[in-house]
Amino acid sequence: MYSPNQRVVISHHRKRCIGCNYCVEFAPERWRMSKKDGKVTLLGAEEKKGVYTTRVTEEEYDNNAKAAHACPMNIIHIKVL
Amino acid sequence: MSRKIELMAPAGGFDALQAAIDNGADSVYFGVDQLNMRARATMNFTLGDLEEIAERCSTKGVKTYLTLNTIIYDHDLSIVKTVINRVKEAGISAVIASDQAVIGYARSQNVEVHISTQLNVTNVETVRFYSLFADVMVLSRELSLRQIKSICDEVKKENICGPNGKPVEIEVFAHGALCMAVSGKCYLSLHTQNSSANRGACNQNCRKQYKVIDLEDGHELEIDNEYIMSPKDLCTIDFLDELIESGISVLKIEGRGRAPEYVATVIKCYREAIDAVNDGTYTKEKVAVWMSRLETVYNRGFWGGYYLGQQLGEWTNKSGSSATQKKVYIGKGEHYFPKPKIGQFKLESHSLKIGDKILVTGPTTGVIETEVTSLMADDKEVDEAFKGQEITLPIEKMIRASDRLYKLVDVQP
Repeated sequence: MYSPNQRVVISHHRKRCIGCNYCVEFAPERWRMSKKDGKVTLLGAEEKKGVYTTRVTEEEYDNNAKAAHACPMNIIHIKVL
Repeated sequence: MSRKIELMAPAGGFDALQAAIDNGADSVYFGVDQLNMRARATMNFTLGDLEEIAERCSTKGVKTYLTLNTIIYDHDLSIVKTVINRVKEAGISAVIASDQAVIGYARSQNVEVHISTQLNVTNVETVRFYSLFADVMVLSRELSLRQIKSICDEVKKENICGPNGKPVEIEVFAHGALCMAVSGKCYLSLHTQNSSANRGACNQNCRKQYKVIDLEDGHELEIDNEYIMSPKDLCTIDFLDELIESGISVLKIEGRGRAPEYVATVIKCYREAIDAVNDGTYTKEKVAVWMSRLETVYNRGFWGGYYLGQQLGEWTNKSGSSATQKKVYIGKGEHYFPKPKIGQFKLESHSLKIGDKILVTGPTTGVIETEVTSLMADDKEVDEAFKGQEITLPIEKMIRASDRLYKLVDVQP
């Protein structure tokens, strides 16, 4: 379902999000604040045991790495396959 | 002296909530999900819990206040409305707010508003301003008793009333943690970890040890008092008569992040102290007993805060708690036999013997503290039971399978 060039894996432990908005500021194309519960949603992600994960191309790496670094709860993780 | 003083307890979860109700709180305050000043707490309630909170409290005549007191961004506005609508539906007594968006929407829905410590109310004109929206306001923790009294006197004299038509009730913090900064005005955690204290995500930088480095020669200087930024905890029980005399109506206990037995002990002590002040039996001897009981639960050492006009803060000399007691997890609840009043537990760790002090906590049970008077292990009478055994012991109150059993151990200073 992911193409071979989507080698960047972003994951998000959504339950612990405090809705600070840093990730949206850094990577608005990948994160959106939910009006339902005030927590952020990782766009295009699938959920497994509370952790939302998606794979993106390397173009998105920098912005999302900044988001992961800024996250005060340390619940955004990013790695390259 | 028979003015009714409201004792307000913190509740970080159902166990603490029950402990507050059982030990004489007149009201409780609590947060749901992330928009409150304890956003990091994993034990916050959810919106779905509001009915049960209202139900448990209202049957005991305890008021319920929901904290919605962080700073609010545009992206939060929709959840703010959802929360306030749910507060109204569930019959929660009021919201504790600081952001004007919250205050404005709550008022538009006729939900009672209380002003949060995040707004640092320090003078009577600010009280007058917020009286357009709020019936209860907490004063800044950094005021002196004289300043508090002067504000209370003015409220009375000028009859400053809230939306409910009654004079505004003035609330103060009576016990618990203090900030190194004027409450809510600290940015340390934001600067170091992007983690805003004003969004309830304080990382408590002030509670750590620091060194000063001379940038010219690289020498490291350890600061004389190692925890220079960490204030001791506020405790007012030794001058509670004066604090009440200042004209305040509500005594708030800090500590939504603290354990249920903390809530039980602190609320019980302050309940007894308020009652003693009211009926004229508040004595030094009683204060000494309350103080030693308060010292058994989490504390960073006590001082009277700014109320007595100290020039500067008193700083703690250690990391973490100075409590004289600690709890050790030893097992879980299994069954209660109501007739003989016997509790059955599974001992999962350590040992337990006759004479040990135990603590049972749980979401429905709240907090039970008692002493082991007799003990059976695997159906035999014993003096001491060990890990892995099934034990029964006499206990006055009902225990449940959702309960945790702890042993209380003295901590050597």
